[in-house]
Amino acid sequence: MEIYIYFFFRGASKFLKYLLCLPLLFIIATKPARSESSKNSPGLHSSKQVNSKTDSVKDDDDRTVSGTVLDESGQGLPGATVRIKGTEKGVTTDKWGSFRLLRPDNNAIVVISFMGYRTQELPLKTRKGFIIRLEAEHNALNDVVIVGYGTQRKKELTGAISSVPKENLNQGVSSVDNLLQGAAPGLQVTQSSGQPGASATVRIRGGNSITAGNEPLYVIDGFPFYNDNTSTQGSVNPNSSAQGLNALATINPSDIESIEVLKDASATAIYGSRGANGVVIITTKKGKKGHNDVSYSVYIGQQQVRKELTLLNGTQFAQLTNDIQTSQGLSPFYTNDQVNSFGAGADWQNAAFRKAPIQNHSISVSGGDDKSAYDISGNYFDQEGILLNSDFKRMSVRANYTRNVSDQFKIGLNTTGSQSYQNGTSGTNIASILYTAPTVPVKNADGSYNTTNPFSATPGNPLQDLLITTNETDAFRVLGNFYGEYEIIPGLKAKVSIGADVINTRQNQFSPSNATSGYATNGIASIGANKVATWVSENTLTYNKILNEHSFNVLVGYTTQTSTGNFNTSASQNFISNISGYNILQGGSVTLIPTSGEYSWTLNSWLARINYSYLHRYNFTITGRADGSSRFGANNKWGYFPSAGFSWNIKEEDFLKNVSAISNLNLRLSAGTTGNQEIGEYQSLVTLSPTNYFFNGTVQTGFAPTSLGNPDLKWEKTAQYDVGVDLGLWDNRVSITADAYYKRTSNLLISVPVQLSSGYAAELENVGSVENKGLEIALNTDNIKSGSFKWKTSANISFNRNKVLSLNGQQSFFAQIPDAYSDPLYKLSPVVIKVGSPLGTIWGYKSAGIIQSGENISQLPTLGTEQAGDRKYVDINKDGVINANDKTDLGSVQPKFTYGFSNTFTYRNFDLFVFFQGSYGNKIYNLLQEELELTNLGQNASSVLLQRWTPTNPSNSIPRASYSPVAQVLDRYMQDGSYLRLKNISLGYNFSPAVAHKILAKQLRVYVSAQNLLTFTHYTGYDPEVNTFGQNNLLQGIDFGAYPSSKTFLAGLNITF
Amino acid sequence: MKKIGLFLLVTIAFLSCKKLNEDPKSIIVQDQFYQTSNDAISAVTSVYSALNTDPGGDFPMYGRQLYFMADAATDDETEGNAASNADVRAMGSIAYIANNNRILGNWTQHYRGINWANVAIDKISAMQLDTTLKNRLVRESKFIRALLYFNLVRLFGDVPLVLHQAATISQTTVERTPAEDVYKQIIADLTDAENLPASYSGNDIGRATSGAAKTLLVKIYLTRKDWKNAIAKSLEVINGPYGYGLFGNYADVFNKSTKNGKEHIFSVQFLSNSGASNSRDRIMTDVFSGFGTKIPPDLPADSTLYKSFVSTDTRKAVTYFTSLVNPATGLPFKFKYIGLRKFVDTTQLLTPVESGINFPVLRYADVLLMYAEALNEDQGPTTAAYAAIDQVRERAKVPDITPGLSQSAFRDAVYQERRFEFVQEGQRWFDLVRTGRLVAAVKTVIAKSAVSDKDNLFPIPQAEIDVNPKVTQNPGW
Repeated sequence: MEIYIYFFFRGASKFLKYLLCLPLLFIIATKPARSESSKNSPGLHSSKQVNSKTDSVKDDDDRTVSGTVLDESGQGLPGATVRIKGTEKGVTTDKWGSFRLLRPDNNAIVVISFMGYRTQELPLKTRKGFIIRLEAEHNALNDVVIVGYGTQRKKELTGAISSVPKENLNQGVSSVDNLLQGAAPGLQVTQSSGQPGASATVRIRGGNSITAGNEPLYVIDGFPFYNDNTSTQGSVNPNSSAQGLNALATINPSDIESIEVLKDASATAIYGSRGANGVVIITTKKGKKGHNDVSYSVYIGQQQVRKELTLLNGTQFAQLTNDIQTSQGLSPFYTNDQVNSFGAGADWQNAAFRKAPIQNHSISVSGGDDKSAYDISGNYFDQEGILLNSDFKRMSVRANYTRNVSDQFKIGLNTTGSQSYQNGTSGTNIASILYTAPTVPVKNADGSYNTTNPFSATPGNPLQDLLITTNETDAFRVLGNFYGEYEIIPGLKAKVSIGADVINTRQNQFSPSNATSGYATNGIASIGANKVATWVSENTLTYNKILNEHSFNVLVGYTTQTSTGNFNTSASQNFISNISGYNILQGGSVTLIPTSGEYSWTLNSWLARINYSYLHRYNFTITGRADGSSRFGANNKWGYFPSAGFSWNIKEEDFLKNVSAISNLNLRLSAGTTGNQEIGEYQSLVTLSPTNYFFNGTVQTGFAPTSLGNPDLKWEKTAQYDVGVDLGLWDNRVSITADAYYKRTSNLLISVPVQLSSGYAAELENVGSVENKGLEIALNTDNIKSGSFKWKTSANISFNRNKVLSLNGQQSFFAQIPDAYSDPLYKLSPVVIKVGSPLGTIWGYKSAGIIQSGENISQLPTLGTEQAGDRKYVDINKDGVINANDKTDLGSVQPKFTYGFSNTFTYRNFDLFVFFQGSYGNKIYNLLQEELELTNLGQNASSVLLQRWTPTNPSNSIPRASYSPVAQVLDRYMQDGSYLRLKNISLGYNFSPAVAHKILAKQLRVYVSAQNLLTFTHYTGYDPEVNTFGQNNLLQGIDFGAYPSSKTFLAGLNITF
Repeated sequence: MKKIGLFLLVTIAFLSCKKLNEDPKSIIVQDQFYQTSNDAISAVTSVYSALNTDPGGDFPMYGRQLYFMADAATDDETEGNAASNADVRAMGSIAYIANNNRILGNWTQHYRGINWANVAIDKISAMQLDTTLKNRLVRESKFIRALLYFNLVRLFGDVPLVLHQAATISQTTVERTPAEDVYKQIIADLTDAENLPASYSGNDIGRATSGAAKTLLVKIYLTRKDWKNAIAKSLEVINGPYGYGLFGNYADVFNKSTKNGKEHIFSVQFLSNSGASNSRDRIMTDVFSGFGTKIPPDLPADSTLYKSFVSTDTRKAVTYFTSLVNPATGLPFKFKYIGLRKFVDTTQLLTPVESGINFPVLRYADVLLMYAEALNEDQGPTTAAYAAIDQVRERAKVPDITPGLSQSAFRDAVYQERRFEFVQEGQRWFDLVRTGRLVAAVKTVIAKSAVSDKDNLFPIPQAEIDVNPKVTQNPGW
């Protein structure tokens, strides 16, 4: 407990230091004074009186009835009307939501109403007081949904748009993409690793692209951006596979009011060349009219590793080592006595983990009046990693403000600034820890780290490496936009918006001379800086008109967005001292070649949309966008993206009007084309690259053409068709949304191989196509809604089938693993891209058991030099030898379906949120397991090797111990990645307003929650949610020792004054 | 209110359309380049870099890639069954197929270099430059182009003969050209390159010289069994104004401090700690890990050849190692296999990719042995032929050749000498093929018994045929 208190105060003090603490304290301090000044509130008594009688709303005074009106979140609702039915007698609630009125007779019915909420009627009977919770009126015709460049009435929607449920937004996570997981149908979110601040992979209705980006477009308060994680990397080549900082983690998730996910062409075509991967629209919290709230929310918690792998212990490892030696005809490494004496040996894995605290503090001041609304917030998030010396911190502030300058003219500002700091481990660290021999002690007798290992030429200790190497990323981001909106004539509005997004990143790395990675160079340090500045200007005109049964909404606009990035890196090595590291690069006597670069792109666009609705029954949306992108070839700068949508509100038809069971029935159809421009810059040009040669021992630089260039380069186009049904039953207590879609992406940008004798390997061309088709269903039910117990369920399931249709005449190619991944196993290239197969197909050998003693090996199809105890492979083409032609389709990493399932229970003041989420039918290629089953001398291994083949243990699955066995892509390591996970369970208690009032609060909630509490899976690795290669399109579903995932336990408090 | 409307309009006008043309600042576009003499020099530097650099991060050609074909696929090395890359193992066990990515890598790198040479030759020829410099740069490029085509035509037979940069994708489609025509082009390029300077000074040392062009011509004539021309060109090299000779100490051929010395006619240049990770001598990258757990390395030496060196032969200790001092411990580490030493930079054992040892493509010992061989073939074992081979043997501290050999015995002696002299130097496969001994020799290694006549040419990479089915495959593949 002390540790929590310590971190709470440590965090809180840091937090207050960073965040405007004095003004906030001032506001809090002045609160009571303000209350006292509000004596003239419309209630029958002042709130001061309530404060003096807070223990109960029941009043001894027989002549009055009193009570409190609350909104759905349990906050007092000021300005609600409370009256006696059939009379004019009524009062409005005060700023606490409290009221008191003169007692009528017991037969009276009290009517409580508030704009936008469902009116409630309560028979008074003998009750003296009430607490009434009003429900927002969801079914109202005027319910609006946020769409691209505006809002639309929900009833008139023609596109497929899902909203992330509010309950999902309250999970304690580091970034927005984590909130999306399992939250809406059609959305597949996979956390790449458990490293704090690491990214997730987000796919909306499957991946469309092979080489270009597949992540959705994010639009935050109208500012569109692609979540490019290279913008938060300092371009320092880390010689590692470390997961970088997630660019989305620079945005505070607790600022988010709502998230909408735009999926079909009708909804996304307004984003044209960036709409094909879907669009995630994020709206941050805005001030509410009539409020002046100060809120503080905090959670603190602890994380622990979810699972550890079972490895060999000291004795078992020593035995394996001896077996490997013997297999080469060499004498054993350890004597029998030594083997027995090791026992359990050192548990390197366990020593690398820790219980890690996490904390989050947010404070916000928000409110508004008739003319202005404001929301100012600050956040401090601090998550330590479960692996030593890894953490992520974020300090952020936000200010949202709107003001009606005049009746016609309105201005607004949405800004956020954040400082994010990630202290990352290098990606190979967890693997190098697992590999370390358990016969080697972690520490010496004197407590220092042991750096000698008989199996390693260089001294070093992977745990010490974790602690002494630096790999930190520091990103500063300012994202904001300013707009003015002018109503020229009623219904016609002109809006001009200017936004900027500046990300300034610095990355520092240092491997001191006593770290394994710094030993050979006697210490190596590098610094990288990267600045990406994006500007957007959006100018739109909208016209709204209702003419009898016809309603129109027309949007036209012109936008331009431009982005420039600059990076530079410097590095040196051979340090006399390890004290200063990257802070004194000149302290390294060998300077490495510095690098720098610049890149920029521009997107100019025209956009238009017409919504037309007849009787709110027949709705049409026609959208078009023309995009001009600098990224494309001189002959194809402009592309055009149209879409059309239709929806039919069948419930409004006469034949359904009187069917009371059906409260809503809506059919949607849409078709359209969207694009993808995420191909990087300068791809269409013939460019020269620098190369080096060393005349007379000096470095001399040459320039040579490395690309052929393609002036015809253009967008990838996705044609999408969607049919959807929205069905509401029994007053919408059950609502179902089902969508079926077909997407065909053509003009895929693929590096088309050209004849190598041209001197070029490939040219980027618009060829090839991929299809995605699927079905997604969302179900929301109000199982129990009356009385003090309420139960709501929200479930969704998504099926997506992906297939490569053509690759410009090629049948297949293997996905290249980036060069930075140096482990030999990476050279296996397990992933094939093949016509007729889904993306993420694994291509390898099928094993056929183990060669047993006495088998005639010359009769067996072999790779060449096998002997008894080695693996047998299936000779697919039956030619008697095993070679690359015997590799076959081992399955796909794509799930058959993904799903989310949440229940919200409320009983009196308690609420319980239980959220399951999962994936079914996806495979994972477990490279880590493969490495851990290789009998490499000196490398610790999986306990599976205890069953290894020996002449006396004729295993038919685990080969014998041998020297440096050769790894193959093998069906054995193609594992089922299906899982069901209790992602979040959260139990909260809302103190009654009476209690809250005692501390002058309007609302007080405390809760405890657990993340990843239960996971059901057959996967043997750390976590079935894994992407060692992060967002790389082609190398999804591969596990090579990503940062393990954790279980998290949180306790939190939200208070509003 | 009118003012506000005006404000909006002004804003719109202020942030109007940005141009969509790309104007890269950190990437050089071809159209902007080839203006100054420095541009021209740098274009030719890139041509050389094709020999030591792979821009895609693969093993560089003379830093490892070519070695898989010219050495690993011969009887000088075992099959290397510990190599983690199946395609590397396939090279060592003669189990390669047309899909082998090491064969593909060589093909790719050779044609990349040829394209860079073509670009340099065409662009520089069109530039306004000092004639001496211009001619030299064009001839250097032609020398490299000839070297690369000579490798290709020997490895693959008929190959596409590309002499100009493809401007559009449609120009990338080429069929195979008969080897005879490829040789004509090689000889034409080298004949022009014979006009290169005899030597260079300062930071130009390491460039192709007229001596290099003539030596390469000797090799071509020898390969084509044109003995008379081979003899004539050898004599031009031996008696020319180049000052070539053998180092007194064989080890100096592979010594960083004696780089570009009197025996080196043309070497691919490598440098330690150059900072460029893709332009390193990686031939023996796995030595260091050999101190630790990974035993043996990818491609260890064949013990039969190791054992057949006579005891006095100083080449043996330069060619092989069985023990090295581990710099981490300061103690000698005894290996359990026979390692190849020539390209192990003992000053860079902890970072073996930083080996700074040059790769000798053409050296004087080769000229002497080629001269001896051509003389013997043309005129029988003459005194001059004996003198040439004995010069090589004396330097290696082995006795002179037995006098009075028959022509065929002398031939065998020269072949044998070439084998001892050039282990791991990219000669063995070519020597075996041009003398028709490949199958018989390679078969002696048990793991390589799959070798057959079709192996006298490597398969054309399947990737090339996939793109253009008109590119035919070699017989037997």
